[in-house]
Amino acid sequence: MASCCRLLLHPFLCRKPACLAFSRNVQIIASTAESLYPPILPSRTAKSKSAKRRVLLEFFEQLRACTAQEKIRALTRIQREKYVIYPQTFALNADRWYQHYTKTAYVSGLPEKTFDNDESVLSELRSAVCNSILQEHWYMKKGRAFAHKEQEHSVAPYLRNIVCALKNVLAKENPVLGLSSLDFDPQVNFYWLRGERTIPRGHRSGRVEPMRFQIDDKPHSQIRISQQLPEFVPLEADISTEVPVVQSAPDLLPLFRRQYDNNIFVGAKLEDPCCYGHTQFHMVPDRFRRDKMSKRGLSDQVEVTLRANGIASLFAWTGAQAMYQGFWSEEDVSRPFVSQAVITDGQYFSFFCYQLNTLALTQRSDGSNVRKNLCWGTESMRLYERVTDGDVVGWNDAVLRLLVRFLLNKP
Amino acid sequence: YPLYQLGNPQMRLFRPPFTMTLVRPGKEQPPDTVQFRIPMEITKFDVRNYLETIYSVPVAAVRTRIQYCTNKKRNHLNQRVKRPDYKVAYVQLAQQQTFQFPDIFPETENKYEEGSAEEMQEKFMEDERQRQKPDPRRGGVTEWFGL
Repeated sequence: MASCCRLLLHPFLCRKPACLAFSRNVQIIASTAESLYPPILPSRTAKSKSAKRRVLLEFFEQLRACTAQEKIRALTRIQREKYVIYPQTFALNADRWYQHYTKTAYVSGLPEKTFDNDESVLSELRSAVCNSILQEHWYMKKGRAFAHKEQEHSVAPYLRNIVCALKNVLAKENPVLGLSSLDFDPQVNFYWLRGERTIPRGHRSGRVEPMRFQIDDKPHSQIRISQQLPEFVPLEADISTEVPVVQSAPDLLPLFRRQYDNNIFVGAKLEDPCCYGHTQFHMVPDRFRRDKMSKRGLSDQVEVTLRANGIASLFAWTGAQAMYQGFWSEEDVSRPFVSQAVITDGQYFSFFCYQLNTLALTQRSDGSNVRKNLCWGTESMRLYERVTDGDVVGWNDAVLRLLVRFLLNKP
Repeated sequence: YPLYQLGNPQMRLFRPPFTMTLVRPGKEQPPDTVQFRIPMEITKFDVRNYLETIYSVPVAAVRTRIQYCTNKKRNHLNQRVKRPDYKVAYVQLAQQQTFQFPDIFPETENKYEEGSAEEMQEKFMEDERQRQKPDPRRGGVTEWFGL
């Protein structure tokens, strides 16, 4: 106000007609004058939308200067009800829904990668894997497992043997594997915000709040390395597959809400040198075995459950790796995070590769975000037909080659 | 249902005493979900068997819930009147089939046939209503004042 009065008395204003000169010259002079007053900001404590926006922006600014540990703590400190996503789910067509919640485009087939076939190594591995199959099904006389525990009774130890054998034999070819960390039954957790919903009832009904999701995954085993795997496609590459959009609320999947600790965990704490992921191995639980699904009439859902498992587990793992490096939804990843997974039920193997291109999934940061995460996956392939008379019948070499190719992936 | 003991023959119902009502979902459901109102006594497995054997509808999953209806309303004698509870089943169809609840009450253009008494009456009522409306040239201003 005082500045306008001062300007009225200015000499050259009187030459032009009063109304025109007043309105135009005030703006010109105000823009060129040096700022004698602090910038006009909305209040911080008022009960207004601009006040809340300012508080949020200041919080984000303050977070940018913190370490990764403090960022994770600040983003996961407040507990609220969230949707819990189970990677191994009975829900029908869950892979489409999970793709929407993780902004993942699924591409069938694996990305192109050349590797040289060392026959001696392959034959050594073939004998090791055949031995572990026979050990499990032929040599060792195991009693019948209790109901619904057949997979962890028979397949889990055999998978453990295979993973150890593969890692130790291929450590010669791939030096990264020699320095890697192999965990059994690790925990992988990830917490993120995606989209918004209107609260339907309660004392906060009618208000808009972000949707929170949590994945708590327990793979059978995983290999963590100290360097990052190279990307499959560049960060800003244009892939034609679209991310499916699901209009319905998550409760209709069905997805259930719970409130507990928001965890973000790779498999080891932040200070561990092996903080990047290489390969995860998942075991299909009893209720999702092929024979049980076909007895319930859900034979076409078998592949769907495998895909949903791959997408959810790998998104959680790569997301947690990115958070460990200090990236979050406002500070998007500057380099893509890559991981691989093998899902098996003993006989059938499916392979998945995941590339995390973006962590900006909140409503605020997703508006201008063109990047999407990518998942490559295969159909399930049989490793062997059956075990008869101390011999493995119907051996499929392609599956073994794919396993070797996965483990030979090096930075 | 009669209690099952080990050794009993498989229980079969040849003429089921219950019916299921297909209803329009109140909230928007995914395309493969169909909503039914079912009697309180039957279970998810009964719903599945019913649909698969009688109507040969491939059912992938069934979820049920019980809707509690109010006991708060009172009648003219101030006695509490209970609205009956009902059970709702959400059935997800197998083999990627979809179902959209049809529009049972579509909008009809001409309700009356030509030359009938109802049509002339409707036209007369329409003219009356038109005559009662204020002059549109006045732009919403009332006719109480002025010439």
